[in-house]
Amino acid sequence: MPASHSFRSLLPVLILLVLLALVPLLSPSNRFVSLAISAGINVIALYGLSVLFGQTGILSMGHAALVGIGAYTAAILARDFNIGFWLSIPLAGIMAAIVAALIGIPSLRVSGHHFVIMTFAFGQLLAIILTNGGDYTGAASGLDVQQPVALFGLSIDVLTHYYLTVVFFVALSAIASWAIINSRYGRTLRAIRENEKLAASLGINVGRHKIGAFIVSGVFAGVSGVLLAYFLRHISPSQFSSFPSIYLALMVMIGGARLLLGPLAGGILVAFLPELLNLDPVQSRILYGVCLIAVILLLPNGLIAGIIAGWHKMFDRRAAQPSEPAVEREGK
Amino acid sequence: MKSVLLRGAVVALFLGAVAYPALAQDAADTIKIGVVAAESGAFVSAGHTLPAGVGLAVKEINDEGGIKVGDKTYKLELLKRDDRTDISTAIAATQELVRDEKVAAIFGSETHDFTLAMAKITQPAKVLHFAGNSTLAKVLTDSSVASGGEDHYLFQTEPQEFQRSGSTARGVLKLLEPLVGHPLKKSVLIVGNDATGQFLSSYYLAALKSEGQEVPDIIFYPPDTTDFSPFLTRAKSLKPDVVHFWYNGDSTLTALPQALELGVAPSYFLFGVDPGIWKEQGLSADVPVAMSCVPVCWGESSNPKAKAYFDAYFAAGAPKGVTSSVSLLYYDYVHFLAEAWEKAGSLDPDKTVEALKTLHHKGVVSDDLAFNATHQVTHATEVCAAAPGGDITCAMQEPPADAPKQ
Repeated sequence: MPASHSFRSLLPVLILLVLLALVPLLSPSNRFVSLAISAGINVIALYGLSVLFGQTGILSMGHAALVGIGAYTAAILARDFNIGFWLSIPLAGIMAAIVAALIGIPSLRVSGHHFVIMTFAFGQLLAIILTNGGDYTGAASGLDVQQPVALFGLSIDVLTHYYLTVVFFVALSAIASWAIINSRYGRTLRAIRENEKLAASLGINVGRHKIGAFIVSGVFAGVSGVLLAYFLRHISPSQFSSFPSIYLALMVMIGGARLLLGPLAGGILVAFLPELLNLDPVQSRILYGVCLIAVILLLPNGLIAGIIAGWHKMFDRRAAQPSEPAVEREGK
Repeated sequence: MKSVLLRGAVVALFLGAVAYPALAQDAADTIKIGVVAAESGAFVSAGHTLPAGVGLAVKEINDEGGIKVGDKTYKLELLKRDDRTDISTAIAATQELVRDEKVAAIFGSETHDFTLAMAKITQPAKVLHFAGNSTLAKVLTDSSVASGGEDHYLFQTEPQEFQRSGSTARGVLKLLEPLVGHPLKKSVLIVGNDATGQFLSSYYLAALKSEGQEVPDIIFYPPDTTDFSPFLTRAKSLKPDVVHFWYNGDSTLTALPQALELGVAPSYFLFGVDPGIWKEQGLSADVPVAMSCVPVCWGESSNPKAKAYFDAYFAAGAPKGVTSSVSLLYYDYVHFLAEAWEKAGSLDPDKTVEALKTLHHKGVVSDDLAFNATHQVTHATEVCAAAPGGDITCAMQEPPADAPKQ
């Protein structure tokens, strides 16, 4: 596959992100910018989850806990070592990756539903550990993050500056995800996803690669956690328990985990639908449930893949043939 | 036709020119205040009381002609925002109220975590922020509330936890003992295991011990528990004189019937359950049950002002709930703030803070509401007890002067 061909799958994401980076020029409300930042932070974690779920076929229901590892790492580094935002990003990514490895090694000895349950249990366990961590983790009350965020001496604590920072990290995540998908490693992961036994028979170390995918997704989650901690300036265990994990899984399933636009679409939809339709949490959950069932039944590769397929059917001569995006064709 | 359009345009321009200063005047003579609370989602029970309480106070102030600050009279405009029990929404709502709407003050939220994150937005913007979270004691210190400190504009509208726990423990034991008929010596706490539960129970434990209680165990249950039997069985094995259910009123109402069926103790205490709910739900028990309200009860009260307040509160459309009284942690402080603005003669936040710190306000909860040096109030808490026959007795219990020694 020529590089230019695979780059086509990244191009729409980059164009969309450039457009999103221009949003502050339209003077949006601060409420909108704030929600967009929250959505962007989720999207970064979703790119990690898409590597795990979309490419490897492993669903984690404890991913918010890895985001929490990143957030708490950032808060503790700032408090105890005076380490600021920029250095926290790689350190929290590494810490979340280490924790992902520690969970992945025992958890990935099982597969399918059992793995989902184990990751869910990990999420619950982390909340309990943080809640009972005394002054070190701030117990149930959590921790404050006091360090300012600056770039070349310019404060990026201003909401729009922070928004642009998050867009930048979303772009980095999308590029990293694209690079993984189009690498030999990505092809190996897809081989495992499609047929584990066949992949093993070809000499692929399935267990090691699955743990590797979990570790990679942990890095994304860790970075997302740092951005969250510095955005909210106060974190607590309840933000990283089971419900946020379920929401992350929901977002990636609705948007679609196999296409680069999927996590972006899922994150934005779930963040803004209640706002646009003025839904309360109960109505939102009903809507998400209906969307999830509809996606599973009608658009098994997610909303974006469904829209692309629909587009081809309506306007493209290729409609007669089943169409797959570049990365999918490449993966098979 | 052309002349008709022309005349119409002239009239419209004239009316616009006349109306614009009036509209501008209206906007200038209005003080915006915001409420961020869970009007939907998991914390709706306490959350809906905030806009209801603040809304009632705003209506009363406006109906009385507004607030006279210096030479000008201002009306209040209330901007309510539902945080959907979601921290991202709470933050977005706060950003909107502070930066877009330019509110002078914010009330809420009822959730400790949300309030702390919201304060990171309100405080740098010099927006006065009132929240009824006793857990704010963790951040309200002499240095943080000092001029230029990071929480200079943040006020805690609920007493410090040692005070509320002290009032409650003393009141519960005082009311239950004559009903049980023998001295109460041993207490067991059953507590929701979340941020608030952990924080509150540590103080209540100290308060019970300072009242001479032996407390062999605190039993934590996960939030959203519906089957309490494992926790109740454990409590029963400790042979307590009183089982104290702390702190979620909704969970407590689920746990109590199970406790009565298992015969866990000769008496119970339900934190945050109003006698009004006890009566409305037709609850009964064959043993004495104490209840406490945050801070004054609506179903039965010894506070002379409570009836008038709650009549107006419910007449305004607020539902009768387990935690309706939480509204009083906000209602009084809208009036208090209005008085501070009048006293300061200015809307300047620094002058208002100074006024708030020196004022003694006559509210519903107390005739002498005042903030201490670390921006926290002190007042009594109401405790009631239902006798097995159904009679309910209530008493306002004053807080202890000092925190018990650990």
